[in-house]
Amino acid sequence: MPLTLEIVTPDARVYTATIDTVVIPTVEGEVGILPGHIPLLAQVEHGELRVTKGSDNQLLAVSGGFVEVEGDRVHVLAEHAITEEKIDEKAVEEALKRAEQELAEAKDIDPAQYERLQNLVRYSGVQLGLKRRRR
Amino acid sequence: MASTRDIRRRIKSVKNTRQITKAMELVAASKMKKAQQAALAGRPYAELMARMLAAIADRVEEAQHPFLVKREVKTRGIILVTSDKGLAGPLNANLFKIVTEIKTPAKYVAVGRKGAQFIARTHRDLLADFSVTDRVAFAEVKVVAEFMVKQYLEGAVDTVEILWPRFRNTLVQTPTLLPLLPLASVRDVIADLKSDAGHTPAAAPGAAEQQMIFEPDPLSVLNALLPLYVNREIHQQVLDAKASEHSARMVAMKTAKDNATKLLGELTLEYNKARQAAITQEILEIAAAQFAA
Repeated sequence: MPLTLEIVTPDARVYTATIDTVVIPTVEGEVGILPGHIPLLAQVEHGELRVTKGSDNQLLAVSGGFVEVEGDRVHVLAEHAITEEKIDEKAVEEALKRAEQELAEAKDIDPAQYERLQNLVRYSGVQLGLKRRRR
Repeated sequence: MASTRDIRRRIKSVKNTRQITKAMELVAASKMKKAQQAALAGRPYAELMARMLAAIADRVEEAQHPFLVKREVKTRGIILVTSDKGLAGPLNANLFKIVTEIKTPAKYVAVGRKGAQFIARTHRDLLADFSVTDRVAFAEVKVVAEFMVKQYLEGAVDTVEILWPRFRNTLVQTPTLLPLLPLASVRDVIADLKSDAGHTPAAAPGAAEQQMIFEPDPLSVLNALLPLYVNREIHQQVLDAKASEHSARMVAMKTAKDNATKLLGELTLEYNKARQAAITQEILEIAAAQFAA
């Protein structure tokens, strides 16, 4: 019985497919999910999400959210998610630089804004790490 | 019969109206496209989150989080999402009709100027009013959500509900009242939706009884998920309302433009008739004068 994986962000439904296994980064460490997993609800951390289908491997970068496993369905709710092929290294580098600069200049910045920038920095870091290792 | 000059004046004014409504239609059409895309893109996320919550709500003790505890409802808290500007057909009026039907004591938070004006005019209890730009940045809506949650936690209101024009398609927007807090009533709503769609709510009792693992633990998952749910849900509804607003305005302006064009045709016909009559009259007079001579 294969798993159905669905990854949704506020902007779009990023990924839907029938897969064999998936490894998800959670706050408690990575969680591997195989068919027949017991119901699970966990918080997702910034990191790499690894999907295996037959002999195919696919990597995705995700940032903060939740994962729900129920029966043979895996739902991931993430702030951001992107498949490896779609990562634009230059754009991410620039975004990272901008965010870091803003963080460095900001003194009494709104805490929510500060958190958003920090998340952006970490998410960019994950994307770059993922892309570079592949080469 | 009106004189040719009067008719000409009316033609001019109708032409101006047509030009304005045409311009507004075009503006609304381009805004509508963006707003509809934004609203539709966010829907899967909101739906999935609601489903996740339904799954949790079945499995955790009510007392674990204030958002889950059902209390006696003395005052309802309603977020009313309307447009800032008028000229959007019956969009806002339909929402106000629902507001007037609410007889139980309620306090309102208005998003959009029209709603704030209506609540003030009808002497209902307005807690605060907010306005959002057309882009509906998440930060703008978060302020509204945080305000409402604070009122709820302090006990000023015993429910949090949102009333907004739900976007179905360009021609149809239905005013909808959706309870957000406490989440116990959300479960009823989801069950309702499911039974509407033909599923029976008790379809999977086995799944609900099965133990669920929470990581790191139920409380911290709830603490993270519940506020996010409320914020995201309100954000999605405001996006939806914007899509509805621009759709309604575009349709209203299109009707106005079509009416102006029709009126213009009728007036032009009347003008030409009057002009022809005047010319005929003049010729008759000249001919009569010649005969007399």
